Amino acid sequence: MAEPLLVVSNVETYYGPIMAIRGVSFTVPRGGIVTILGANGAGKTTILKTVSGVMDPQKGTVTFAGRQIQGMDPDRVARLGLSHVPEGREVFPFLTVRENLAMGAFTRPDPGGVAQDTEMVYEYFPVLRARAEQRAGSLSGGEQQMLAISRALMARPAMMLLDEPSLGLSPRLVKEIFDIIVRINRERGVTVLLVEQNAHMALTIADYGYVLEVGRIVMEDTCARLLEKEDIKEFYLGIKETGVRGTRRWKRKKMWR
Amino acid sequence: MSEAGRGFTVHGQATLPTLFRHVVRERGDAVAMREKDLGIWRAITWRQYGERARRAGLGLVGLGLRPGDVVSIIADNCPEWLYTDLGTLSVGGITNGIYTTDSPRQVEYIVNDSGTRFFFAENEEQLDKILEVRARCPQLVTIVVYDMEGLHAFRDPQVMDFAALLELGARYDREHPGAFDRMVEIPQPEDLATLVYTSGTTGPPKGAMLSHRNILFQLGYADFAAEPRPGDQQLSFLPLSHIAERTFTVFYPLRTGATVNFAESIDTVPENLREVAPAVFFAVPRIWEKFYSGVALRMRDATRLGRLAYRWAIGVGACVADHRLAGRRPPAGLRLLHRVADVLVLDNVKRSLGLHRARGAVTGAAPIAPDLIKWYMALGLDMREVYGQTENCGLATAMPADRIKLGSVGVARPDTEVRVARDGEILLRGPHVFMGYYKNPERTAQTIVDGWLHTGDVGELDAEGFLRITDRMKDIIITAGGKNVTPSEIENQLKFSPYITDAVVIGDQRKFLSCLVMLDPETVAQFAQERNVPFTNFASLCRAQEVQDLIWDEIERVNKQLARVETIKRFHLIEQILTPEDEELTPTMKLKRALVNRKYKDVIENMYLER
Repeated sequence: MAEPLLVVSNVETYYGPIMAIRGVSFTVPRGGIVTILGANGAGKTTILKTVSGVMDPQKGTVTFAGRQIQGMDPDRVARLGLSHVPEGREVFPFLTVRENLAMGAFTRPDPGGVAQDTEMVYEYFPVLRARAEQRAGSLSGGEQQMLAISRALMARPAMMLLDEPSLGLSPRLVKEIFDIIVRINRERGVTVLLVEQNAHMALTIADYGYVLEVGRIVMEDTCARLLEKEDIKEFYLGIKETGVRGTRRWKRKKMWR
Repeated sequence: MSEAGRGFTVHGQATLPTLFRHVVRERGDAVAMREKDLGIWRAITWRQYGERARRAGLGLVGLGLRPGDVVSIIADNCPEWLYTDLGTLSVGGITNGIYTTDSPRQVEYIVNDSGTRFFFAENEEQLDKILEVRARCPQLVTIVVYDMEGLHAFRDPQVMDFAALLELGARYDREHPGAFDRMVEIPQPEDLATLVYTSGTTGPPKGAMLSHRNILFQLGYADFAAEPRPGDQQLSFLPLSHIAERTFTVFYPLRTGATVNFAESIDTVPENLREVAPAVFFAVPRIWEKFYSGVALRMRDATRLGRLAYRWAIGVGACVADHRLAGRRPPAGLRLLHRVADVLVLDNVKRSLGLHRARGAVTGAAPIAPDLIKWYMALGLDMREVYGQTENCGLATAMPADRIKLGSVGVARPDTEVRVARDGEILLRGPHVFMGYYKNPERTAQTIVDGWLHTGDVGELDAEGFLRITDRMKDIIITAGGKNVTPSEIENQLKFSPYITDAVVIGDQRKFLSCLVMLDPETVAQFAQERNVPFTNFASLCRAQEVQDLIWDEIERVNKQLARVETIKRFHLIEQILTPEDEELTPTMKLKRALVNRKYKDVIENMYLER
């Protein structure tokens, strides 16, 4: 594996008195796609927010490209080349698609490069070109997700944090978006940290995965191996033996091995 | 041995069915048990208990149960378990509990070995086990399910809802007036009442036969830990298929009238304990160790003042404990100081554990570190260690109230005898000795010789009659140098560490001792987090150098107290979080020595490679 671009070490993050992340450590290699799986409330989003500076950890370090960034303001983190695509595709609804993209490039001084990159995202997502002058609020959910990813790309990030890009999208759109995430990773060399509930998709495109349960990592492995684990199959992929009666409701105990 | 001749009675009754009928009549609307339902503790009276047990028993009769038939129950602790147990006994059946963690294959073995005709399953999960193997259980008649959730659409001629069984029983009662009371009279004190399968660490489990007399004899001594008082509460959470919890939850209240509260699950025991605040608390060392490490860890996070106060108070408590251990009454000044320490600190610690009302605390079923008992004594809890086994219906020796010798398991229970054979094996004789192994006369003959029960444990008796257990006979290690080592002593000291849940010492015919260690995932994770030691899953936590060093320090601490030949030179951490479902652990969370030795053969060999 290449040298890690992101190193998260012993991070603890709180919401008031509630410890949401209870000591999490993981690494993301340069140029790789790493996924974090976990149920609702496991702390996936909190991890991304802690990395991108939206939340400050009480403890632990976040090292990005050799520099400690924990507790840094989110705009400074973004300038270092780390773009966060938040959950629920928070685009600016009253700005047009083009203006949204321009917002993504606000840190960049080179108008020529910005124009070039606008072209690039239109290549990836042709539908955005067609909707360039339309207000973002009037786009469909899938188009908004595409816009959110494109806006992040406009900052020419070294790394993107993607928070549930599949949320609320049709299976076909999910596939389309994931294909493009892979292309962005391969063609642009953008390192990706992906948080997902759609475990099947995430494990298919990522190289390495971590499983998060109530604020702690309980399992880590290459995605190929994770796909073979009994616990992953039953709790994340919904594949289970039906047992003697043909239906089974009770859940096995999670072992995480 | 005077009582042995005339039989034993509790409340004037000589068998469990008559005793149960008697106390149900006496106690009527007093609360027998409580179960938490949607967050609220719901009471069940003795009258309801009696009624439901009667219907369960008669329902079984309606299904064709004959006296002497075996009824097996696989369920976590719940009122239905008790209805089934006493219902079965009341109509002359034999009850047998199966561990809920057993696999379908183990269930099949026990069902067939015991000739089980009626099988009670807690829920869908347990039902699936018996359905998977029932084709190979020809004598099985009916399966009854307590909780039908998820099974409403399921129809099977052999499977029945518990509610339907109770209805069947009620109808049988109406159609056969007086039949129940005749059945209650059938079992005689010498008759078999229950089978308890012992979790054999080697070979298949064996069904120990316990008679009504065995159980009633033991009930006669039930108040040794604390004199029962009206309104006493107890908490039930250890497996009922174990003789100790069975006695404590099912039989003991027949004598004392204490109210049994069922813990919601094993994970909620600490919360439930605080809610119930029991009068008497029985637990295995594993639980006592967990409470202790919980307090030790909380103290590390406490303020400086809090830490100082705790250290001072527990120091005062330890002084008082020392006086008690020496058999002296502490001087008045110290007693007063202890009162102050109690009000300021110790009572709060006990409250945080839910033990502030506990007049009796009992530990048994596994060895415990003497330091741990001393810590509880310092807290002001009257903790008593007991020793015994399934084959003598639970209790053979107990620590007397007036004379405590740490490191021993107390003296023989009244009206019984303890002897140590020439080869060091502990032998027991008395009315508590079981009837033998079910359908296994050879093993019975090897175990009971001339009335003496051969325990398989090695120990010593001192001049005052205190028994010290050295180890299981077959566990004693003889090193390559010919030195005898008793592993359990070392293991108990290791387990006293808040970071170590259990350990197995290895070294039979080896040049030196080594050990396999099972970490406490919570405390070690907290340690790593405090020191900024990065880790992801449990295996990576085990491999962290800081954790390896931490455990080595803990081993060195124990090594200092051992003779040089007995010190542990190498260790290996088990890199998986084990649960009772794993074959490595007994249902009471002890590592199985023989199995662990086999399963971890490679890593053990690795520890003995020249480096």
